Amino acid sequence: MTTLTRQDLNFGQVVADILCEFLEVAIHLILYVREVYPSGIFQKRKKYNVPVQMSCHPELNQYIQDTLHCVKPLIEKNDAEKVVVVIMDKEHHPVERFVFEISQPPLLSISSDTLLSHVEQLLRAFILKISVCDAVLNNNPPGCSFTVLVHTRDSATRNMEKVQVIKDFPWIVADEQEVHMQEPRLIPLKTMTSDIVKMQLYVEERAQKT
Amino acid sequence: MDELYLDNIDEYVNDHDKIVTYKWLSLTLGVHVNTAKQMLFHYLDHKRKESSGQLHATYLVSGKMVDNGQTSHKVSVVREEQLEDFKAKMSLIVSVHVYSVQKALLKDSSPLYSVDYDAVRDNLKNCSRYSAIRCASAVPLSSVELQQTRQTPQAPTPEPAVKKSSMNGDLPLTSKPPAKQQKGIMGMFANKTASKNQDSSREVKSKQKEEADAPVVDVPKSKPAVKASPMTNFFGTQKAKKPDKSVKEEETAAAAAAAAAAAAAAAAAAQSSSTAPQQRPSSPPEEKQEAAAGQSTKNTKKDSRSKTKRIEDSDSEEEKMEKKKRRRIKKPEPDSSDEDVIPDSPQQMEIKESLPQPKKEIEPVSHSHPSLPVMKTRKRRRVLKSRTFLDDEGCIVTEKGYESESYSEAEEDVPVKQAPKNPFPAKLTASNKEDEKKGQKKTASANKGTKQASIMGFFQKK
Repeated sequence: MTTLTRQDLNFGQVVADILCEFLEVAIHLILYVREVYPSGIFQKRKKYNVPVQMSCHPELNQYIQDTLHCVKPLIEKNDAEKVVVVIMDKEHHPVERFVFEISQPPLLSISSDTLLSHVEQLLRAFILKISVCDAVLNNNPPGCSFTVLVHTRDSATRNMEKVQVIKDFPWIVADEQEVHMQEPRLIPLKTMTSDIVKMQLYVEERAQKT
Repeated sequence: MDELYLDNIDEYVNDHDKIVTYKWLSLTLGVHVNTAKQMLFHYLDHKRKESSGQLHATYLVSGKMVDNGQTSHKVSVVREEQLEDFKAKMSLIVSVHVYSVQKALLKDSSPLYSVDYDAVRDNLKNCSRYSAIRCASAVPLSSVELQQTRQTPQAPTPEPAVKKSSMNGDLPLTSKPPAKQQKGIMGMFANKTASKNQDSSREVKSKQKEEADAPVVDVPKSKPAVKASPMTNFFGTQKAKKPDKSVKEEETAAAAAAAAAAAAAAAAAAQSSSTAPQQRPSSPPEEKQEAAAGQSTKNTKKDSRSKTKRIEDSDSEEEKMEKKKRRRIKKPEPDSSDEDVIPDSPQQMEIKESLPQPKKEIEPVSHSHPSLPVMKTRKRRRVLKSRTFLDDEGCIVTEKGYESESYSEAEEDVPVKQAPKNPFPAKLTASNKEDEKKGQKKTASANKGTKQASIMGFFQKK
């Protein structure tokens, strides 16, 4: 076990990098598809060899990047259980929650040659699924905003509060109001299992949105 | 055909929430693309009659459009709501068929591309098995021949480049230097086949609108004749709605593109039958005939009819094209490096280049460019660039887009600040400096000093 330590860290970093890249694209795409922001700020970029919509707004991009930068160490250590993108209405009640459940597979290995292209294919499928999710979801009321919540295991958050990963970008414990949603309807979107990560994406939607 | 397919499609659309494109359906069910198109149409019809659930569909419309006095061949994917409007704008409709059926209302066309990407990737070797384009001589090179091509020195790409945002087919079409393969084999292929394509395409172009069954067949043939990778990459890039095709996409793109080319060529044949744009893909079967080189007298008859009709249109266009093509061929080297899109054969370019972004695209002209393959000495890559220019109303507009940029390996070390000149002088008015700054920001070899001449050359040609 001791000889694997360094490998484990690198591995964790690789997985965290891949996941954070994916989450960034996914968050942008969710904002686009759910019309949280006007579509004019988005432009087509390429990821995993397919076109995706990313925002051009610098502050929004910075916010998302900072968020994920802080989440990355949690993923590396396998402390992050769920990363949730919550879309809230004007009164800050959640109307939709896109939940990415992340876990490490029982047999962690980077041995396969085709691993990365396989993972890329799986992530592509996720992206595609997010793009068409408006088939199963009701429309959101206007004036929505979003936030990102991270559900962690154990006491990882205490460390986060003590050490600010990014200056002036503190993470706080979420309000009950933001976490709890009334009458949620669960809609599974996609699941993937690969050698390096297991991820599940589902949407919890409030039954009555307006 | 039996009705099971209706259930199949129903399952895909409703239960799995998939986007069912005709290409994906044909690969999944193992049927010819034209059959797949008809299946989708029947399904849509069926569902609409039952009026159960909400389905959205997109259509592929291909035909001629007159834009500012210039006629061009346009192939677009349009949403159902915009279909009638779009058809009304076209002067001649060559083919209309269902492109995809899905439950979700798509906001943009990216998912359409993603859907086909994996399906084609899995069937890479035989993705044209069900397509309507056939060419007997299009076979992959054997490894011996591959070696030979690799060893011949890499000649600079012969064809000049085309303006990146040319939406009209009659704008100078250039051939993409086929030497843009990701896998690096291409340069050779491209060079070999480029000239062949040039000739055939020129030929084709001059007879394009008309009969030219032979040249028409030539076109699809010449296209696939360029070996799978470079060709498909070329086509992949040409299809405006799928700008980012990777090598793998190419073949299907080639198939679709060639289908469109065949469609264009079959315009003559289709003309009489497709006066009223039909949902029924009657023209695809005709396309099929054409592509399959089924020269029937019927075709020639129709061709002569259409010939007289369209002689004015095509003549000036052809002359323009040929002139431009010839001009371009004379100066290949200087321009090859900075062209964003350099098609193999101008004729195909015409069809492909004229592919506008699908109507539902939000992005204006600054669409992304296909990632071009990498050659050994000269590379192209996609760079996010902002272009600032003065538009008609005198407003300074900044557009961002992926431009494919060519740079040589040797020049990678050139510092960013080096090149003051900006690749888009044609568009700059007051915002020159700003643009330069932006251009410099992007990549290391954004403005290679040694290639300044060619960059300017490209724009002067416009």
